Amino acid sequence: MIPASLLAGAAVEGRVELPKSHAAPVQAKRYEIVTKAGVLSTQPPLAVVYLDGNFSRPASLPMKEVGQKDLTFIPALLPIEVGTRVVFPNLDDTYHNIFSYSPTKRFDLGRYRPEERPIPSVIFDKPGLVTLRCDIHEHMRGLILVLNTPYFVMTDTAGRFRLDKLPPGHYTLKAWIDSRTTREKPVELRDGRTLHVDLP
Amino acid sequence: MRATGETRNKEVRSFRTRLFTAIMVIVATLTALGFYLAQRRITADAERNLQERFKTELSSMHKLEELRHAALADRCNALAAKPRIHAAIEDDAIDLLYPSAKDELRDLMEGDEPSPEQAARSLHARFYRFLDSTGAVIKPQNASDVGELDAKTEAQLSLNKLPDTQQIGYVRSRGNIHEVIAVPIFSTDTGDLVSALVVGFKPFELEDKHTGMRSGIWVGGNLHLPALPPAARSSLNEKITSVANGSEADQNYFRVEVDGAPQLLFYKRLNPASLFPPAYEICVHPVASWTAQLNRLRWQIGGAGALLLLGGFVASHFVALRMSAPLKKLALDSEESRAKSERAEAALATTAEELKRSTRYSADASHQLKSPLTVLRIGLESLLGREGFKREIYEELSTLLHQTRRLTGVIEDLLLLSRMDAGHLQIASTPVNLSQLVDEWLDDLGALPDSPDVKIEKEFPPGLFVAGEKRYMSLIVQNLLENARKYNRLGGRIRVSALGNGSDVVLKIGNTGPTIPPGENIFERFHHSSTPSAASGHGMGLNLARELARLHGGDLRLVHSENDWTEFEVRFSTANGVNAVA
Repeated sequence: MIPASLLAGAAVEGRVELPKSHAAPVQAKRYEIVTKAGVLSTQPPLAVVYLDGNFSRPASLPMKEVGQKDLTFIPALLPIEVGTRVVFPNLDDTYHNIFSYSPTKRFDLGRYRPEERPIPSVIFDKPGLVTLRCDIHEHMRGLILVLNTPYFVMTDTAGRFRLDKLPPGHYTLKAWIDSRTTREKPVELRDGRTLHVDLP
Repeated sequence: MRATGETRNKEVRSFRTRLFTAIMVIVATLTALGFYLAQRRITADAERNLQERFKTELSSMHKLEELRHAALADRCNALAAKPRIHAAIEDDAIDLLYPSAKDELRDLMEGDEPSPEQAARSLHARFYRFLDSTGAVIKPQNASDVGELDAKTEAQLSLNKLPDTQQIGYVRSRGNIHEVIAVPIFSTDTGDLVSALVVGFKPFELEDKHTGMRSGIWVGGNLHLPALPPAARSSLNEKITSVANGSEADQNYFRVEVDGAPQLLFYKRLNPASLFPPAYEICVHPVASWTAQLNRLRWQIGGAGALLLLGGFVASHFVALRMSAPLKKLALDSEESRAKSERAEAALATTAEELKRSTRYSADASHQLKSPLTVLRIGLESLLGREGFKREIYEELSTLLHQTRRLTGVIEDLLLLSRMDAGHLQIASTPVNLSQLVDEWLDDLGALPDSPDVKIEKEFPPGLFVAGEKRYMSLIVQNLLENARKYNRLGGRIRVSALGNGSDVVLKIGNTGPTIPPGENIFERFHHSSTPSAASGHGMGLNLARELARLHGGDLRLVHSENDWTEFEVRFSTANGVNAVA
């Protein structure tokens, strides 16, 4: 039985000031990873808002997926909790070789075709940012943001977010904007209450 | 004359010699000039050809090098673009750089070093290194994977900064030389210059066994040209070092001596504007074969020149002969004409001399004779004036006196003639009454003791004046009248007529009697008639008369002598203004 308070929990909503984008805002889920002055971000700009704190790790976590479709990673940015297994299905008609040299997680899945079974997967066991590359398609770039928390959400293109079912207490609310920029604000969450926090 | 001919011949010979010499000098000069020019041209051509050949060989080598460089650079760029290498650099995984590169550059490093012949086609690398963002070499964890280098050599791969374009350099290591290509690595994410890949290769070296052409590399004051002996290399190195430091030209050539053999040395900056130290390609080409070829050509030209000279010698000889031939003829002709003129001149001189002598002789003789004759005449006259001689003696004396007077007349005539011949006779021209003069002489004529019975006809106006000296006029008239009487016949006649004719007065004296045969020169001095006649003079009268008439500006001529009639005509100049009145 899950306590009602827990079920109800606390909530945080607000808005993250996102970098200006020259591209027209799109409602579609498609976005990509771009680099500018060595900084990786999404295009159109999106932020990952998460609650930082010491949370107990669940015994098992749901598997996540980053597919390779039309020579891009889908999704281009994937926030996950530490210990999550991510599968990398090849949805193209060609070989892909997904690898990462990021200190957070180095792996190399080798070349594989779409019908490769089992679908190559990796467990990300350290928090941090992982840059996904394809050894065959040098332009392909994907990001996995490994977080030490189960509470995270991606903003919409306007920067709006809402986190529900949060445990009450003192935490730090963080917003990952790009590979170099993370904003944060201390928050005090109370059960049943929705806190409004803007991260300018 | 013979001596003159020899002189002429000598002159012609001398002319021919001078002409020949002149032509020879011109031919020799032209030949020498031609030889010199041809020689120079050939040397220049040969040198240019050699250079061209040299350049062609070098250029083909350079083309191969460029191709290899392009291929290598392409390969390096492809490697530098590898996602793993980028990932290692960009994703903060330098430890994975060399291991990743090991896989990626495996094909470049595998296998053995190619032979020099295959070097151009081979992309075999000797080593490779990455440079960090400052341009320093990133040390490999395992040197054996990336080509081992000693620390000193490895240090040469570092640059002051990362290159933003491909760079070519040359590094030395233990007597060996490596050609390195550095390619920049730009971050695929940021576009920034993040690293560089430096790959070392065996340098491209040329050694043409056929032409003896060899190439090497000079870098950092050291010449790498293993084909040369060390001593030659070090002496060459000094020269190249001074050229490389002093010259701004990227390429040039000069002559050097290697082991006493002349060589053409070509140098070319291999890596202009490179961040690596400047390196020169050094190429030496022995010119021995070229020199031999040039010498052979020179000999050929020299032979041709000698032949030309010989031809010129023969030709000029002929030309000199041909050209001097007309001159010789001219000389001969002129000699002949000169001889002729000399002869004529000599004859003239002789004649003049003889004439002079005869004139002088006549004058002298006349003078010499005149004095004794005068003495004789005076003696005879005084004897004739004495009394007491027999009648026969008087007659004899009278005849002697007559002859003496005649002789005196002859001598006076001679004296006059000789004076005229000598041009000494001066005329004191005055108006002379010719009519009166003729009348007087006609009177005298009738009074002469031996005058035959001739009838005298006169037909001239009185007071007819002519210009002249009276005594000479008188002599002319006397001569003609005496002749007319002397050569007349018994019962004959003398006709004297005169007529003023403007500027002239013509006096005609005709007489009957034997005619003068045609062609007989009666005006010749000492002329004697071919027809014997009782009456004959001393042969000077007509001559003297004509000379005197001419001296007075007139003339005396025989106008008629046939049918018992001989007529002379004398022309005088009218005395100015006098006859007009008449």
